[in-house]
Amino acid sequence: MEIKALPIEELRKLLAAVSEHGKQHLVEVEADLLQTTFLLNEAIEKLGAGFAAIHEAVAQQQLIIAQLTDSQALPQASVEKLDILKHTISDEVNAVVTSLQFQDLTSQLISRTIKRVIGLKDLLHELETHGNAMDPSHEHEQIAQFLEMMSHNLHEGSHALSGGLRRSVGQQDMATGDIDLF
Amino acid sequence: MAKTILAVDDSGSLRQMVAFSLKAAGYEVVQAVDGQDGLNKAKEKTVDLVLTDQNMPIMDGLTLIKNLRALGSYQKVPILMLTTESSDEMKAKGKAAGANGWLVKPFDPKRLIEVVQKVIGS
Repeated sequence: MEIKALPIEELRKLLAAVSEHGKQHLVEVEADLLQTTFLLNEAIEKLGAGFAAIHEAVAQQQLIIAQLTDSQALPQASVEKLDILKHTISDEVNAVVTSLQFQDLTSQLISRTIKRVIGLKDLLHELETHGNAMDPSHEHEQIAQFLEMMSHNLHEGSHALSGGLRRSVGQQDMATGDIDLF
Repeated sequence: MAKTILAVDDSGSLRQMVAFSLKAAGYEVVQAVDGQDGLNKAKEKTVDLVLTDQNMPIMDGLTLIKNLRALGSYQKVPILMLTTESSDEMKAKGKAAGANGWLVKPFDPKRLIEVVQKVIGS
């Protein structure tokens, strides 16, 4: 079968469908990520507040224990056990303070992903807009140039999107970070 | 009198953890939600140390440091960065802006207090 004209209308429909379906999925991804961020923030905020309240109560409790210890009202074996417990509590408090900070790191990573999703939606929109501008009456060579331009713009847009999304979190494990004093 | 530390971070949970750790060590903590808020609070009362994040809306940490160093009252006040950024390039920028140290998140509370004590005393 001889094709006399390029199937521009079909190509236009294809680009519009890719753009539309892609955007629909990205809207869902964006909404899920925003909801995740919100729930994560709320959870950590409540955990942090609860943890601070427990720590305050334990600190008060330790003050009373210290008074009892000073008054020699407790047997030596109990004093030694309480001292060990005090150090255990201190170590666990430090571990919790470190762990709770990972919410900040994950929020930054999610925020970067959301920005990428928004950028990708814009690129898909641009693809559809360019597709609509294609004219079936143009010569094959002109249409080829037009498609080449679309491809170039997509490449440039994708490159610009990546360039604007510098990775600010390099953490790969649960260890604490380095300290440099200048 | 307790020394005052200005903690600048857009993350509420991070500010909460910094304040919790420093208050437990006997410091007073003033909190700010971004660089501009930090600059405003620093102008209201000269603090003994500034601990700031880098990536924040409105004004980032490096810009805050440059603004603080331009103020007469903050030319010698220690400023530490507390950030997820860990590249040598960013550390060099921090040093050039006037930071006195660079701490990568997440911090260990004991080590944070050791550093703060080393820089401004107990």
